[in-house]
This record gives sequence, structure tokens and C-alpha cells, in this order.
Amino acid sequence: MTATLTTCPYCGTGCMLYLLSDGQGRLVGVEPSAGHPVSRGQLCVKGWNAHAFVQHPDRLKTPLVRRNGTLEPAGWDEALDLVHQRFRQISAAHGPDSLVFFSSAKVGNEENYLLMKLARVGYGTNNIDHCARLCHSSTVTGLVETLGSGAMTNTVACLDETDLVLVIGSNTTEQHPLIGSRILQATQRGCRLIVADGRRIKLSRHADLHLRHRNGTDVALLNGIMQQILELGLENRAFIEERTENFTALQESLAAFTPERVAAITGLQADEITAAARMFGTAKRAMLLYAMGITQHSHGVDNVRAVSNLALLTGNLGKPGTGVNPLRGQNNVQGACDMGALPDVLTGYQKVAEPSVRDRFAAAWGRPLPDRPGLMATHAFDAALAGRARAFFILGENPVLSEANQAHVVKALAAIDFLVVVDIFPTETSAFADVVLPAACYAEKDGTFTSTERRVQRFRRALPPPGEARADWEILSALLERCGLPAGYPGPGQIMDEIAAVTPSYGGISYPRLEESGLQWPCPNHDHPGTPILHRQSCTRGKGRFSPVDFRPSRELPDAAYPLLLNTGRTGMHWHTGTMTRRSHLLDREEHSAFIEIHPEDAARLSIRDRQQVSVESRRGEVRVMATLTDRVPLGQVFMPFHFVEGAANALTNNALDPESGIPEFKVCAVRITPC
Amino acid sequence: MQPRPCPNQPPSVYAPRPCRLLSVTDLTPQEKLFRLQLHDGEELGHLPGQFVQVSVPGLTEAPISVASSPDRHGAFDLGVRRAGRLTTALHALRPGALLGIRGPFGRPFQLDALAGKDLLLIAGGCGLAPLRSLLQYCEDHRDRFGVLHLLYGARSPADLMFKEDLQEWQQGECFDCRVTVDQVPATGCYDGATGLVTGLLGDLDLMPHRTVAVLVGPPPMYRPLLEVLERKGIAKTSIMLSLERMMRCGIGKCGHCSIEHLLCCQDGPVFWLPEIEYLRGAL
Amino acid sequence: MLKRLDRADLEKLLAALATGYRLLTPQRLADGTRLHRPHGEGALALQGEPVQRKPTEAFFPQHDPLLRIGEQGEVTTCDPPDRPVALFGLNAADLACIAFIDRFFADPPADDHYLARRKDALLVGLTGFAGPGGDFLPPANGMCDLELLALGQNWLGVPWTPRGEALLEGFPDGEQAEVEELQETARTRGNPAQDLLEKAAGLVASEVVPDDFWREIGDRCILCSGCNLACPTCTCFCVEDRQEQAATLRSRVWDSCQFDAFMREASGHNPLGTEALRTRRRIHHKLAADVTRWGEFGCLLCGRCDRVCPTGIGIQAVAAEILARFGA
Ligand SMILES: Cc1cc2nc3c(=O)[nH]c(=O)nc-3n(C[C@H](O)[C@H](O)[C@H](O)COP(=O)(O)OP(=O)(O)OC[C@H]3O[C@@H](n4cnc5c(N)ncnc54)[C@H](O)[C@@H]3O)c2cc1C
Ligand code: SF4
Ligand code: SF4
Ligand code: SF4
Repeated sequence: MTATLTTCPYCGTGCMLYLLSDGQGRLVGVEPSAGHPVSRGQLCVKGWNAHAFVQHPDRLKTPLVRRNGTLEPAGWDEALDLVHQRFRQISAAHGPDSLVFFSSAKVGNEENYLLMKLARVGYGTNNIDHCARLCHSSTVTGLVETLGSGAMTNTVACLDETDLVLVIGSNTTEQHPLIGSRILQATQRGCRLIVADGRRIKLSRHADLHLRHRNGTDVALLNGIMQQILELGLENRAFIEERTENFTALQESLAAFTPERVAAITGLQADEITAAARMFGTAKRAMLLYAMGITQHSHGVDNVRAVSNLALLTGNLGKPGTGVNPLRGQNNVQGACDMGALPDVLTGYQKVAEPSVRDRFAAAWGRPLPDRPGLMATHAFDAALAGRARAFFILGENPVLSEANQAHVVKALAAIDFLVVVDIFPTETSAFADVVLPAACYAEKDGTFTSTERRVQRFRRALPPPGEARADWEILSALLERCGLPAGYPGPGQIMDEIAAVTPSYGGISYPRLEESGLQWPCPNHDHPGTPILHRQSCTRGKGRFSPVDFRPSRELPDAAYPLLLNTGRTGMHWHTGTMTRRSHLLDREEHSAFIEIHPEDAARLSIRDRQQVSVESRRGEVRVMATLTDRVPLGQVFMPFHFVEGAANALTNNALDPESGIPEFKVCAVRITPC
Repeated sequence: MQPRPCPNQPPSVYAPRPCRLLSVTDLTPQEKLFRLQLHDGEELGHLPGQFVQVSVPGLTEAPISVASSPDRHGAFDLGVRRAGRLTTALHALRPGALLGIRGPFGRPFQLDALAGKDLLLIAGGCGLAPLRSLLQYCEDHRDRFGVLHLLYGARSPADLMFKEDLQEWQQGECFDCRVTVDQVPATGCYDGATGLVTGLLGDLDLMPHRTVAVLVGPPPMYRPLLEVLERKGIAKTSIMLSLERMMRCGIGKCGHCSIEHLLCCQDGPVFWLPEIEYLRGAL
Repeated sequence: MLKRLDRADLEKLLAALATGYRLLTPQRLADGTRLHRPHGEGALALQGEPVQRKPTEAFFPQHDPLLRIGEQGEVTTCDPPDRPVALFGLNAADLACIAFIDRFFADPPADDHYLARRKDALLVGLTGFAGPGGDFLPPANGMCDLELLALGQNWLGVPWTPRGEALLEGFPDGEQAEVEELQETARTRGNPAQDLLEKAAGLVASEVVPDDFWREIGDRCILCSGCNLACPTCTCFCVEDRQEQAATLRSRVWDSCQFDAFMREASGHNPLGTEALRTRRRIHHKLAADVTRWGEFGCLLCGRCDRVCPTGIGIQAVAAEILARFGA
């Protein structure tokens, strides 16, 4: 009987829990950590089931190598040698930038660090990216420009001290449940709540104001609110003067966003916009929370700028109970970004293009770094089809289900010369691989994850990996060694020491300091207590910058041929492509097949009954799923989760990209539905 | 008649007994009839209205009513609709396959209370499968009952289960058997009655004081049917119905089948109407 | 015979328990969680809130292997561990919860799997001044093999079964008057939580609580299932099959009636198809249905669901709200 304190493998909320085993090597349950500042003895349903998939019989247990078209078991040395040799060959023939590395927001910081090191100095390319491209790349781009740091400015506990929460584009009770519940608790003590979301999500039932604006019109809505705040004189003049720049430009840009015009764009009533402005503008302390509803648009960065502008305009920054709070999706997406698993930055967002940065890393690593920023994940598939990217190394990701426009991804993966997939389960992506390497999951290794509130915390080994599976850091160390780089790390703790040495914001982080509930970065030195709230005296970049934005409609809107707007996302029970949750008995039982939410009136018009199979088509694909009739979705809109391979939402979605962040437009495309 | 105890006690209440599939017959496009025999040659020892937990390794278990009378010795029948994972796997099985069975479980039709009475036996859809155990019992013990009315409604002619049995029951002496379907597809050739099963009750000559009604059907069938029965003067205390609930154990422990303080698997699935009609969510 | 134990005696008792049993004692872990852990793993935490994980887990774990089915359909049951468990440090509510589910699982047809784990287990109550910071906990007056009543630095040992009697043998005798003093303290303090629960239960059972109320509470449920998983009298389970080599391992796992699929049938029919209905069930089941079926509340006020619920709608919070709104 053992109890191992560790971090939840699902969302970025970062709850800590005990994994309980029966002492004979079987995980038997989960118990929340009582002392952790976020979990506080509580968990969401996924956390309570965090043990359930770990020992599933489908786990990958031996390396697999494709021989004569089929994947066959192979030894580790054989598989790793093959990977190294093919990467070397392809690099020699087509240049190092023909190699592409996808890291993972599911593996530890140490492992992200090693993979980006492997890509950059092992194989000489900056072509490294991960799924943050698909969730918060707009945030990183937008907030770095306006505030200087692309992370949640405040901390979850700030919800206990705020007077108003504006949630826009986040189904918090389902996607960050222990932040969602904290919002509900705040409303119980009288905190006001504005929810801006087309869907009637659970939070909206507790909102003082529920703004059901059309998907993709967030810029108009936020500009409209700001225009009214100025109109009502509710802006924070002192803060604007002291702490910001470029206010006049903002002011000018807002003039055109009168309530009437905004109402016409968003589908809201003009007075709803004024009411929101009044409520937000008069709140003493207000927190802005947002997630994928803001970022996953072809104008995702503009959306983020608008959110940031609103916070600056009202002075809601740099103190408790305020802030711009992007809720990061994956348990370690914050960490994967921090670790520089991105094509343009190294750890701690140090720019690759900066010669002094490259010099410092070259000194630490003993090899020069490539200077040109690499390919974004979403561009890598185009590059593959164009013959420029020829070998992919995919660590713990399943792009066949998670990227927009599935057909495009499948074509790209079929076109390349060599694909390596490291995963814990066989996936839709590993089916295309030439080499599959079995990895240990979070419960079988040590490391750190960084939660959405920048909290770096430990996950710990509770049992050995199945079969011959190895921790990702061990796999990556073996490849680093094959590249002639010293990688004899005794454990992840020593990798963290190396990270701290090259990363100012992680400078004070070391395993002994993380024993209980972790540290929030920036934590520059060993005496620093960590930083719960950013931008206190001044912004990371100095002055907060107003970045005016104009409204741009989504790339593909409903028309006569495809009359319904498809919104996609997740449910509370499942995680992303379902590799873990669909193998967790209770979660799978709760939702075990693909569905689409349709408004009853739309359904009646289309002669669709509840629970009937329907065909959903977009310009990019067709899937068959079960119809669920509900007024949670607004008229004219349908919603599909992307968890299900047999009804893959991303066969339909549009891979129109944001020009700056490269994020696809997951939240808006046009479909038609017919009963089967 | 008491359930015959099984001499080979299984090692645990949760241990299925091995069971051989003797034959599989198509009943409708969604339903098949499975004839099974306990592997050790034992009798199942059930009573009409009871159910078994059918175990398929890898897919757990599902409760299925026994569709044959205990007096048809040597084997027992299950009529199974393809509804989900386990039932789909069952439908793929061939004769000779090995299955697991636990049970019989549950409170059966109250045969004592039926003896000497006119019976109004009403089945909707898949409900004919559980009722068939009682129908066969009535056939085998015809002299114990008065008039036997059998009413059966299905969605369409193709959905009628046990077509051969129905033909026999309609032509034979035992039952006054009436069948209806909700709708006939434009292309179908069917010359029987159409409309809901409630419609069959209209011109039925009943002697309310000596009639017991037995109802087995999908949840939406009960309320309208009970209204008509009330109009026909059947006392609530003379109405018995079989309920279906999600079940995982069959022995009153898993909790899925609870109806307020009752447990469908132990206190039911057959209930007298007054036992449940006042309970929230029962009907 | 009543005994009086000092710290050294207590250690002696624990050592004796550890030889015959898998002894679990309350310990406070590094992050502050108080859990039952194998004795000796960490420092004893003799005072404090109830152990966070429900003690009934020892007999009915979250993931509980029932049996293995071989390729030929042959069944082998999963036998209980060699040594029975001794649970040390249970308060009155937890002991009552164990008694509650003992009766539930023993009710025919008995759950032999549970009983096999429970049969030889030993329960040691720890009451008196053993609450958080030495707060008073009412005596259990039974429901265990032996009870220790904490007095500060000493403990009164009360045996309730022959096994308890044997374990206490050899320790110095205690004064009955000291027990009576503790009983008196319990009487004068009363049990306001119990009173509140009873009043709320009356309202729930008489159906004066409208559906709108359940909808409102249900709207706050984020479907974490924690209230059920934490509750020592919640016994609902789901069954999971898993392929292990050639055999199938069949296990039961804790389930929650707050899930939509808890009662959803393959046809889609769902008698508990809304959050309001499920929330009503969670409360009604414990406060009304269990009373009808078993003659006893299904909530013994252990406090866990109120601690674990992320949105503050555990049973005592809901009971208080019911009383405030409909109790006039
Ligand atoms: C007392 C009783 C008698 C029944 N008799 C028959 C019968 O004679 N013929 C017949 O075709 N069907 C009968 N059913 C319904 C049958 O049990 C379900 O159709 C079946 O469980 C669906 O299982 P599945 O795995 O195919 O579906 P899935 O949707 O994959 O279900 C998964 C699990 O949920 C549970 N479950 C789902 N629906 C039900 C349900 N309605 N009742 C109980 N558990 C459910 C089962 O445990 C099942 O294993 C009966 C149900 C009950 C309660
Ligand atoms: S809220 Fe997130 S981190 Fe917490 S238990 Fe749920 S999935 Fe895990
Ligand atoms: S207080 Fe909550 S957890 Fe404890 S017995 Fe009552 S209902 Fe169960
Ligand atoms: S603990 Fe609270 S939020 Fe979680 S399921 Fe129970 S009532 Fe709902």
C-alpha cells in the first residue's frame, strides 16, 4: 500500500493528488492533496480517475519498428539507432530543417527541455513546436507584445479576493473545473460574474450577465465594452497615465465601436454591452479569465490584445484579484512553452534570433545553435506536403485527431520519409509511424509540470513503467548521447538544475524547493519565494502597451450550402483525443460515443430526432455522429467535442491560421447536417 | 414452486457459471433468441419474470430476462435486443460459444396471485421476451387460469418478436391473442391491426373483479396503459408490472437500479402497481 | 474491563496490533493530508480531523478486483490479503458508517467479497479529546472492538468485544468515573449537526422541497463525483473488465449517482436524467430512502462530502439551506 503525492496529468489547473497503490503494483485509487493551495482536498472528475488509464492493457510496452509495412517489436538499441541514423541521413540529404520535432504538453519540463535541446543542437534545427500552437500561441504572441509575458498574470487564489470575474471563451467548470468551482464559490460570497459565451455553459447559470455573442465576434464585443467604459468615464486614468502607453491610439480605434454597431456584429442588444461596461468598469477589482474561445480564431492574437486592452484600461493588473488570466489547457502546456519547445524561443522565452542568447546557450551546451526561427507545428504539415519537411519526431501528441483539417494532416504524414512517435498508447498518429517508442506515463517517472498559474510542481513515480517502456527523459538522453552530447543525467532533478542555470525565470528552482506545493515563476534565485502576481510595480516589458485592434470576421461563415456554424471544444469527462480518458472506465461510460449538440428548433427544421445518427459535412470532410438536442447551443450553431476518433470534429474544422500565431480557427467553420 | 437451489454453489456471488450456447435464432433485425444450457447440465432454476446476468469477458455483464418457462427443461431462452456493446457482442456469437451466467435474480411474477384469475397479459416491444416465460408457463398449466388475454404491440411489422409463437398463440385455444403495430411502412405488406397497444384494450370484454393485468414494456408505455386500465375498472392492486433499470450486480449492492428506497433487481423487477406508483421516477 | 493507558502503553498496544494485523494508523503526510497509513511509515497523528479517505476503503476499495475469468470461462476469485486489517483511530461517525455498510453488504443475498475482507478485521475507536487541536469527539459507545477515549496524555481503553478485551489485558485499570465524565460532556454538548439533519430530513421526506430548489443546487454541481467517492456509506459501484494476459480481470469501482450515465439505459431512457434529479437523489437517498429501507439515516455526519465538494454543496450545507428556506 503506497501513497505517492503527485500532480494531476490532465488540465493546467495543476491539482495535486495521491496515487494509491495496493502494494502489489496495482493502482487502486486517488486521493486529493489537502494542503495544496489549488486542490485543497478536492478534485474534478478527471483527477478522481487519474489512476484509471495507467495500467490499461493497451499501453505500449516495447519499441516497434516498421518492417515490410507492419510495426514489429524491436529492441531499444535497434530502434534508437534507426531513429538516429535516419535523422542523420535525411538531414544530410535535405538539410537539418527537413527535420521537425513536436514536443508535448503532457510530459515534464525536463523532457521538453531535452527535446528542444536535441532538436537545436543535436540535429541542428529550430523546427520544434508543440500543441500550445493549437491552444495558446495567440496568448503568447499577444501578451508578450502588450505586457511582456505570455502567462496568467495572477493566481487561482485571487478568485477569493476579486469583486468581478469576466469569463470569455472558457467553459471553466468543465475544462478547468477547480478554477470553475472557485468562481462559483466567489459568486456565493457576492462576487459578480459576467460570462461571454454563445453556449449556455454551467457558469452562465450563475452569471449576473450572460452575453451570448456570435462566435468569432469577440473583438467587436470587447471593443464595444471599452468604448462604453470610456463613454461612461469608467476608465482608470491614473493607471493609464502611470503604467501604460499608446492610449490615444486605442481611444481613436474604439470610436467606431458604438453599441449599435457592436450589437449588429455580435447579435447582442446594445444595452447588454453598456451594462457589461458599467458592471466591469465599476468593479473595484476585476479578473479576466479566458481560454480557447478567445485564442482559437484566425484573429486569435487580436482577441488576446483586446482582452489585454480591457484590463489595462481599467487598471486591473498587478494586484490581487485582477489580471489577464489565460487558462492554459494541458497540465504542462505552460511548462512546455517555458522550456522553449517553440520554434522562435529558448527557455524562459529567450529569443533564438538574439545572438547574445544563442551565445549563452552555445556556451552552456558546447555547440552552436541554428539562428533562424523554425517552423510552427501548423505550418509543418504544409512543409511536409511541399517536400521541405521529411522526417517528424512526435513526442506525446496525436495530431491526426487534434489538428484542424484531419485530411490535410493525414496526407502530410503519408507523404514524409520517416515518422517517429513516442507515446504511452497506440494512437491514430502512431499508426503512420516508422518507429514507435513506448514511454512511461506521469505515474511511472519523476519530473515537474508547470500549471496555468506558473506553479512549477513535482510529479512522482508511483510504480514502474509497463514492459520495456522508458521515461521520455531517458529516451531523449539516449538520443542526445547518440548525437555526441553529454546526457548522463542521474535523474530529472539534475536536468532541472541545468534548466535553472540557463533560464532566469527558473533560476531559483530546484527539486528540494518543490517538495510541497511548488513555486510560481519568476523565481530568479534560490532565496526567492516565487511570484504569485506578475506586473506588480511595472509590466515585464516596462509600460503596458495598448494594442488597438479592428474587427475581422472569421474566415468561413455559414452560407446557403453550409448553413450552420460549427463550434468545437471539449467536454468535462474527456481529455483531448481520448487516449487516456476513453480508457478510464467511468469517464468512458459517462460519454462513450461522438455527438453533436443541435438547437431543438434547428433540429426540428432538419427533421432530426434526439439521439439520432446524423451526417455532418464541411468543405473538408464528413463524419457521422449522434445528435443531442439542447438549447445549450444558440440557434444556428452546433457544437462538437473533438475527443472521438469515430466522429472526429477535426475532420470538419478549418485550418485557416492566424497570421501571427499560426493557430487554426477551431471555433468557427460552416457545416451542413442531414439525418442518416 | 420454489427456485431450485444450485448444488454446485459458485465460488462467489459475483462468479458467473459457464453456460453453452445451443442455438441462435433471428427474431427481428435487432433481436435474437439465444438458447442456452448451463455447462454442468444443471437446471437454471428460475421462475417466470426473473432475469440472469449474462457475462461476456471483457464487456462485463448485462441483465436479461429469461424468456422461457422453467418447465421447458434442459435449456433456457434469452431474447436479446442489440442495444450496445455487450448485446452487440452477444449477437455475434455462434452456437457452441461459452458464456457466463449469474442468477436467476429478482422477484418473479406472483404466480400464486395469478392462479384462478383471468389474466390480461400486455407486452410492448422487447417486453414480450420476459413475458414469454409466463406465457409458456400458462400454456403448460392452462387449467390454473381463467381467460387469458394477450395483447402485444410493436413499432412496425418487422419489429414483431417471436412471430412463430405469436402465430401459434393466435391460432391456438390458450390465449385470446391480439397484436398491433404502431405504423406500417409504405412498402410493407401487413394485414393486422395498427395503432398503439392501448387501442387493443378498447373492445376487450373483461371481468375486472377477477382479472389481473401483467404489463411488460418500455417505460413510455406504462402511463397511457394504466389510464386505460383504470377506465376499464381494473383495480390498482390487480396490476403487476415489470420495470427495467440499469443494473450491474443483480443482488442489490451496486445501487444503479434504485427507485427511491426500492431496488429493482431485488424488490422487483416485477412490482404490484401500488408498491411503486407513488415513488418519484418509478414510472 | 476498563483500562487506562499512557503513551508507552499505547505504543505497546500498537505493537501488539501490528503483529497480528496489517495495522493502519492515522498519519499526517508532508502536504498536510491526514490519512490511514501502514503503522510505522510516518509519525502518528493522534489528533485531528477525520482521516481524509473514507475508512470503509479498507473493505471496499476504489478499485476492487472481484475475480478472474480464464479463457475457458473458469473463474477464480480474488482472495483477501493474508493478514486482516486493523483500523486504528476511528471516530464515532466513522464507526457508525462502517456498521452501516456492514449491514448493507451482509443483507441477503450477502456480498461474500466484502465480508471476506471485513470478517477478521479489527476496529479501534479513538474518541474523547482527539479532534483537531485536541477538540472533543463524542464516545462511540461500541461499534468497534475496543475504544480509546483520549484524555490528553492518557487514554481510557474500553473493550467492546472479546478480541478487544484480550488486547487490553495487562494494562492498568481505569476509573469508570472518568468515562462518565466524558459521556456527560457529550450529553451537554448535544449534537446540533444531527438536529439540523433530522429537521432537514423531515422536510425532504415530506416532499416540501420543490424541484426548483434541487435545480438550483444541481446547477452548482460540477460533477466531480467527490461527494460520493468520499462518503463512507456510499456503496454504489460500477463493474470494469480488463484483459490481463489471457484472463479477464473483473473489478468493481466506486461509482457516483451524480453521473448522467449512472442510470442511463442503453435505450437512452434515464430516470435520473437531470442534474436536479440527481442532486435530489443524493440527498433524498441518505435522508429519506435509507430511513424507509433501513430505519436509519444514510448520513452519519462524518463531514467528508462537505469538505470534498468544490462548490460547497455537501449534505450539511444543503441541509442547512433546506432548513433556512423551507423550515419555517
Ligand atoms: C431486469 C432486466 C431485464 C432485461 N431483460 C432484457 C431482455 O430480456 N432482453 C433484452 O434485450 N434486454 C433486456 N434488458 C435490457 C438489457 O439489459 C440492456 O439492453 C443491456 O444491458 C444493454 O447492454 P449493452 O452492453 O449492450 O449496452 P451499453 O449501452 O453498452 O451498456 C453498458 C452497460 O450498461 C448497462 N445497461 C445499459 N442499459 C441497461 C438496461 N436497460 N438495463 C440494465 N443495464 C443496462 C449494462 O450493464 C451494460 O453492460 C433487461 C434489463 C433489465 C434491467
Ligand atoms: S481541475 Fe484539472 S488539475 Fe484539477 S483534478 Fe481536474 S483535471 Fe486535474
Ligand atoms: S457527511 Fe457526507 S460523506 Fe459523511 S456520511 Fe454524511 S453524506 Fe456521507
Ligand atoms: S462533490 Fe459537489 S460538485 Fe462534486 S459531484 Fe458532489 S455535489 Fe457535485
